Amino acid sequence: MTNVPLETLRDSFEGIMPSVIATTDPAGMPNISYLSHVQYVDSSHVVLSNQFFSKTAANVKASGRATLVVIDGRTGLQHVLDLTFERSMREGEIFERISAHLDVMAGLQGKSDMLKLKAVDIYKVESCRCVEPVAPLQTAPQAPAVSRNLLGEAAATTRLFSEMTDAETLLDRSLELLEQKFGVLHSMILLTNETGSKLSTVASRGYPHFGFGAEVAFGDGIVGIAAQRRLTIRIADMRRGQRYVSAVAEAGRPPQEEIAMPVIDQPQSQIALPLIANGRLAGVLFAESTESFAFSHDDEAAFEILAAQIAAGLAIFELADASSDYSDQHPALDGSIHQGKGFRLRFFPHDGGVFIDNDYVIRGVPGRLLFHFVQAYLQTGRTEFSNREIRRDRSLNLPEFKDNLETRLILLRRRLEERGGPVRLERPERGQIRLRIEGMPRLVIE
Amino acid sequence: MELEDSVASFLSSKVMIIAATRDQTLKAHIGRGCGAFFDNDAGDVVLLSSASQWPEFFACAVKGAPIAVTFVEPSSYKAIQVKGQINQVVPATSEQRERAARYIEQMLPLMAGLGVNRLQLSTVFADDALAAIRFWPADLFVQTPGPSAGEPMRRIG
Repeated sequence: MTNVPLETLRDSFEGIMPSVIATTDPAGMPNISYLSHVQYVDSSHVVLSNQFFSKTAANVKASGRATLVVIDGRTGLQHVLDLTFERSMREGEIFERISAHLDVMAGLQGKSDMLKLKAVDIYKVESCRCVEPVAPLQTAPQAPAVSRNLLGEAAATTRLFSEMTDAETLLDRSLELLEQKFGVLHSMILLTNETGSKLSTVASRGYPHFGFGAEVAFGDGIVGIAAQRRLTIRIADMRRGQRYVSAVAEAGRPPQEEIAMPVIDQPQSQIALPLIANGRLAGVLFAESTESFAFSHDDEAAFEILAAQIAAGLAIFELADASSDYSDQHPALDGSIHQGKGFRLRFFPHDGGVFIDNDYVIRGVPGRLLFHFVQAYLQTGRTEFSNREIRRDRSLNLPEFKDNLETRLILLRRRLEERGGPVRLERPERGQIRLRIEGMPRLVIE
Repeated sequence: MELEDSVASFLSSKVMIIAATRDQTLKAHIGRGCGAFFDNDAGDVVLLSSASQWPEFFACAVKGAPIAVTFVEPSSYKAIQVKGQINQVVPATSEQRERAARYIEQMLPLMAGLGVNRLQLSTVFADDALAAIRFWPADLFVQTPGPSAGEPMRRIG
């Protein structure tokens, strides 16, 4: 029998304040420790991860019982939960979610193997009681009488998505709407590359620089793990995770990046949502805040609706572009070829990497496209290209059309724009690409 | 019985304190400490806790009953669990109440520095109806998260 409904305790399961677990051995000696993870499962169950404390595990195995105290990180209220062990799980969605969360926390310190989760334990909640505050040091302000209507905001946002007609608008407006409707000040969208090993930033909002083309490897950090596991990951209080992990491992160094990822100082909350449509991962929607607790369970649910809409929208625009019959324009010649000073454009065929002089520009499909445009320009003087001819050109070694040509062109154009020349792309009209070059390029194939 | 100086000083340092007793059915009950120290003369650990805040815990905290107390340094998660049998449970002396007040005064800024605010700790540190639980430390265990968690530091008697 649960006296206090578990649904009212959702904020106590955010990992903001450590929970406490007590058990008793068969001889009657109690044992008490902190616990890294308690999560709500349903109205009568919680799930615990207890990968370190073998005495707790042994006592639960013997008695089947445990007592838990959880703290609401927003109000400071505590509750006691009497638990009965039901089963251990080594796989499945609940296991994967907690495992992914622990991996993200470990990754914050560069020690991804230190907290490897072996199993999670599902417990039935027999009773849930409030620890009446007898002399609280501070009392929480009254919660607002009317809570935000996140479902309504999500519906309003998806209605606006439905009116959009191209991928670029969808990418930018979705981040803008996250701010307007949900107060998210820092967000970005990253696209999966053609090999499914990395993600590249294609849209960002609320950072000192855009960071177009900045990469995250699959499995690296909250974004990489969300992509790799195809799971939403939300961290309510990053300091907690960092402190817990630093007890286990020394901090490690993050990998070097060729384009600086847009960052904010001291993020306290982060959420990463996989963008999946037609069963395929298109990328990740990421948001963060300098405030702890910025994203609630309800925010997560609302953002998941939006992420599904963004993924579906990108897939639809890609299909529309691939099946469109925008005519190929006649190649245009450009007179600017001798203007400005020359530069070297180095191309690495094995990964599509492009450098201008000694500076990294981009790799993968966008890199191959850039090389193609510049090469055609040098050979024929052409500056106008079309999506359609690119899709047909097998020499480009492009993945199938469904692999987001349009969003990769957006990424390439934005990267070149943020870089500031001497090569730029313009989109004079739908399905068309115009190359702008200042100076004489010299192609070097490495 | 003597504790190593480092352990004795750890118990009375700026550490979070959680404790458990158990009832006749062996169900565990949780309480929180509001300061603790090692009484060298008596050889006892003295745990200070609010009897009104943790009534279920105190209902089982009687002479002869087993108790487990874990002390955790918040900045490092370094932790030691001490287990033993309760010798005595009495209302705190004025000196002990002052110790508990000092403990709260010291812990709040320490925790604030770690990003945990006063509201979040508003019912964690309670000194209402403060009582002193004395117990003889029979077992000590390292409980810092990591591979050695749960290993006994020593067993006495």
